[in-house]
Order: sequence, then structure tokens, then C-alpha cells
Amino acid sequence: MLHAKDLTKHYDGVVALDKLNLSVEAGDIFCLLGANGAGKSTTINLFLNFIKPTSGQIVIDQMDVLKEALKTKEVIAYIPENLNLYGELTGLENLEYFVGLAGKQYSKDQLVDFLAEAGLEHTAHQQRVMKYSKGMRQKVGIAIALAKKAKALLLDEPTSGLDPKASNEFSELLVKLSEQGVATLMATHDLFRAKETGTDIGIMRSGVLVERLSADDINHSDLEKLYLKHMNN
Amino acid sequence: MIFHIAKKEIREMSRTGQFKWMFGIVILLSAVAIFVSHRQWQDKNLQREQAEANARTLWLAQGSINPHNAAHYGTFAFKPQFPLSLIDPGVEKYTGISIFLESHSRNEADNVAAADQTGLSRFGDLTPDFILLFIVPLMIIALGHHSITREKEQGTIQIIKTQGVSNKQLILGKWLGNYLPITALTTALFLLAAVFIQDLNWKFLAMMWLVYLVYFAVINSITLIISSLAKSSGISLVTLLAIWIVSCLAIPKVASSYTNEKYPYPTRQEFEAAVAEDKKKGLDGHDPWSEASKKLEQETLKTYKVSDLKDLPFNFDAYRMQKGEEHEAAIYFKHNERLKEVHQEQTKVYRGLAFLSPFLPTRFMSMALANTDYTTHWNFADKAEKHRVKMQRILNDDFAENSKLGEWSYKADASLLAEIPEFQFDAPEFKEVISANTSNLLILTTWLLVSFGFLFFASTRI
Repeated sequence: MLHAKDLTKHYDGVVALDKLNLSVEAGDIFCLLGANGAGKSTTINLFLNFIKPTSGQIVIDQMDVLKEALKTKEVIAYIPENLNLYGELTGLENLEYFVGLAGKQYSKDQLVDFLAEAGLEHTAHQQRVMKYSKGMRQKVGIAIALAKKAKALLLDEPTSGLDPKASNEFSELLVKLSEQGVATLMATHDLFRAKETGTDIGIMRSGVLVERLSADDINHSDLEKLYLKHMNN
Repeated sequence: MIFHIAKKEIREMSRTGQFKWMFGIVILLSAVAIFVSHRQWQDKNLQREQAEANARTLWLAQGSINPHNAAHYGTFAFKPQFPLSLIDPGVEKYTGISIFLESHSRNEADNVAAADQTGLSRFGDLTPDFILLFIVPLMIIALGHHSITREKEQGTIQIIKTQGVSNKQLILGKWLGNYLPITALTTALFLLAAVFIQDLNWKFLAMMWLVYLVYFAVINSITLIISSLAKSSGISLVTLLAIWIVSCLAIPKVASSYTNEKYPYPTRQEFEAAVAEDKKKGLDGHDPWSEASKKLEQETLKTYKVSDLKDLPFNFDAYRMQKGEEHEAAIYFKHNERLKEVHQEQTKVYRGLAFLSPFLPTRFMSMALANTDYTTHWNFADKAEKHRVKMQRILNDDFAENSKLGEWSYKADASLLAEIPEFQFDAPEFKEVISANTSNLLILTTWLLVSFGFLFFASTRI
């Protein structure tokens, strides 16, 4: 579903990403770990076509991101570290707007169902988003992905700053989406969450994917040791 | 998609205090401006109607009188107050609304409203055209300056971009979302004005409404272009305010100063001295001993094959006065044509400068449609002069045909005065106004198209 082939990005001669090869298939949750500046966000931004690669190819659902920029957006959903919505609009209105931008139209009841499925309490649906916590806003992001029927999720530190309960709820939603066949690529600092949620884990350092392993093949403790080993090298 | 984005923009905007306050204030100002303008329009119209009726009564009340004495007594030509002057009073305040029609002289328009006002009038009047030309553009800027920059500042632009919406759709949606409330406000203002306007010509009103909507469309496009290119909402606002100052305040004033410097009108003294100089060179109807009079005598005697003026079939004194009138009218025509040429040159410069600011073509179109521009005033002055010449001819002809040489005591029947028709000046036809302002319409259309072109270019920079 999500493929990077020899993906490279330079910023003024500085290598941000070096020949990344990555595949995330339907139902996979690929967690990218790494220190700040390791290239995680650059990878996500390249998949989103927010920035152009220096070389290499990015394919989403068999479509080249550079050649079919708008079409690839139809099959993805993106949740950044801070999902900013329109404060003057309610959660329901925000959902209606963003889903409408994706060309989808739903009845109010259907939109309410998406918000409920994303775990947002019913009483919050008609509240203006300016009163929402970060966790609530992230749930609206999930609702957008659900309503959009996205085939792939691109997440950039989505649980950063969330309390453990909210973080756990978010992870449960990701697993649920994964079970529905959604491919997820998530950049995160949270080793615990990566192990608990991910199906695959990648460790990045200085723009290079230095480690790739199945989440089932490693426990929390070994993952931490492996991570620190790479960071200290 | 575009309507979907516009709907959200309006919904979001309508919930902000800034929008509510701004809209409320502009609606209140518009209502006050229309109400005050209506009161003033009614007062002026009543005064004009009364003055016109009085002038006619006084003219007819002369009764049996020597025709040339009646010509010296004179009467007035009044410029009607056109319905749309309620929206745009244009140059009315400075041009005057009546012209005294008498023999031997073409007078300038009088009853200049500005002359009756105090120095405070320098601050300008609260009129609907002021709201439309200056305040509404400011409102567009206030509403739209952060249209794109705020999306970047909030981070919502990233979520928008991942929904598969194109930048063009986004900017057009934003454009429409900002434009529709302005259209609603403008329409409400025009409809409210229409309620108060008497003898309304809907075609003129609709065209004026359309011209202002095009003007606002241009301002809206410029606002979104800057919002797309600016790095922050603050920079966008400052840039747009600078553009507003330059387009709405600086360029019109620079244009005015430049045109007056490049193509100056003669002063009143210069104009009158030039007319007096030319008059001296020709026939004075009241001076039978001048060289020109003697020449006319000889030519007339030769034409009618008589040796004495007494043998002519008409009163030569009146005939000479008519010839004098014709000579003077030709002098006034010549000098006024020169003034018109200066006006034309100035207009050309203005139209050239209109490429620098959408304000200028809008201003000219608005005044032309309201019949309160200089062209309408020139037409009024010309028509009044034609009326004066016709009046002199009727009176002098009667004097010449019904009296003998030297019979200065001749008095015409009072019915002669009624033969002089009342002065009538009608608004130009819609086609005439459009035809005279084709270049303004073209410039405004160019502004619209170019601003949209730049808007699409700016959308690539979001």
C-alpha cells in the first residue's frame, strides 16, 4: 500500500533521508522510531507530498505520489502531532468539512456514527472544537480517516502529549483500523506504544533505516536496548 | 467543492465577534448614509423645484415688455437632481445646479453646494458611495487578509491538503466565502437605497450594483493573493492596508494633482479676459458706432438693396443685437470647447492611471451612472447655452420683426415670454453612458481578469 524506493531527501546538501526502502501493506502498522532529526517526519512529509524528494520514488496504492498527487490523497488520511481544527466549528462540522473536501458526503447521523466510532463522546459532537482537548481532536482526525474510508494512515507523533488513557484509546483505534485493512505508517518516540500497537518497527538514525523488525519478534526490554544501541552508535 | 469551502468560510466567519461587529457597523453606517442622503436629496430637490417654479413665474410676470429688456432680465436653467445621486453625489457639490441665462453672456453654473458649507465639509460627507468605495474594501481586507495565512499558522492547511482538494479549488472557495457576505451587504445597501429613490431607473441601478461588485471582486482577489503569498497574517494585513492607501487615497490624489499640473484649466480671470478680448474684436450689439457694426450695416443694406436702414423690412437695431449675440455665442463656444479639450486631456490621463488602481474606473463609472460626473455637467451647461441662444433669437427676432429702427419703446405682448420654452435637461440614455465609459468598463474588466490570473498563480504558492 505504502512504498518508498531508494527515497532520498537533501536539504541544502544535508542528508535528511538516505535511500529509504520501505513497504507497508494493508493491515500493517509500521512504527518508525528514532531521535529528533532522524528522518521520521521527513518520510511522512514525503509520502504526503508536502516536500519533494531529491531522488527515489514514493508509491501509494500503486500510484506515484509525484505524478498523481491529488489522487493519492483520496486514499490516505493524516494525523499530525497536533491536529488543528477550526475552533469556531463543532467537531461534527469539522468532520463534515474535511470529509467534504475529500469528496465524500454523509448524512448528519452517519457523521455522528463516525465520531462515535472514533471514540468521541456524544456530548462533544456539538461542542465547538476550541473547547476540545488534544485527545478529542485526535479522535476527530480518526473519524475523518474512517469517514474518508482511507486505505492508508500517515501519523506523525499522534500520541505525543496525550495522557496514557487517551494514548491507549488512540492505539486501540489504530488496531481496529488495521483489522479493517488500513495500512498505517506512524512516526513516534513512544517505544512502548510502538511495540503494543505496531506490526512492524523501524529504527531510523541520521536519515537511514538502520533496523527493521516484526513487533512480535521482540519484547519491550529488547526493543529499548536495540533502540539505545542504535542511538548511541 | 468550491461552495463547500465557501459555506464553511461563511459559517466560521459568522461565528466570530470581529465579523459580527464589522458587519453591524457597516450596515449601520450604510443605513445612516442612505437616510441622511435621502433627506438631503429631498431637501435639495424641493428647493430646486421651488426655485425653478419661481424663476418661471418671475419670467412670465414681466408681462408686456421690450424683448431685449426681457433678455437682460433673464431666467435660470436648473439641473435636475437625478435619482442615483442619492447613492453617488459625484461632483455635484462643486459644479453648481443652476445657470443664469441672459443676453450677451454665457454664465457659469451657480448655487455650488460646497460654497454654502463650513470648513468642516473638508472632512467629506457620509454618503453611500463613500461606504462603497472606501469602507467596503477595508472590510474585505479585514475579513480576508488571514484567509490563507491563518490556515498556515493554525496548521489546518496540512489537513486540507491531505484531503485531495486542489489549491485552485481551495482559493476559489475562500474567495467565494469572503465575497458572498460582501455581495449580500452590497445588495442590501442598493435595495435599501432603491426604497428611497424616486423615479428609479432599474437599469442604471443594476449596472451600478454590478460595477461595485466587480470592484469588490478585484479587491477580494488582491486580498487573497496577498494572503496566499504573505508569511503571516500580520504581514498580509499591513501589505493590504498599504495597497488600500495607495489605491483608494494616494493614486486618486496624485492623479488629480498630476492632471492639473500637466493640463491646467485657465483661471476664471484668464478665461474672462480671453473672452473679453475676443468680444472686442467682433460685433457688439449695443454699439452702433463700432467698425464691426458699420460693416454689418453696409452688408445688410447691400443684401436688401436699400440705401437707408429705415427702409429695411425689420428693425436693424434688434437685428444687430441678434448678430452680436451670435458673435458672442460663438466666442463662448470656442472658449468652452477649449475647456472641454482640457477636460478630455485630463480624462485621458485619469484613464491611463486607472490601470494603477481599480478605484479610479469604479469612481468614474459610479458617477457616470449616477449622472453626477463632469460629462453630465458639461452636457447640462451646453444644453443651457443652446437654450440661451434660442431664447435670445426668439426675443430679438420678435423685436426686429415687430418694431422700427430706433423704436426702443416697443413692447411685445406678454404671450411672447410664454413662447420661450421651459428649460428641460434629461438624463443621458443608458447606452450613451455605457458608450462614453467603455474604456472605464474595459479597465475594470482587465483588473478583474488580471487579478484572477494572479489569484491562480498565487494558489500555486499555498
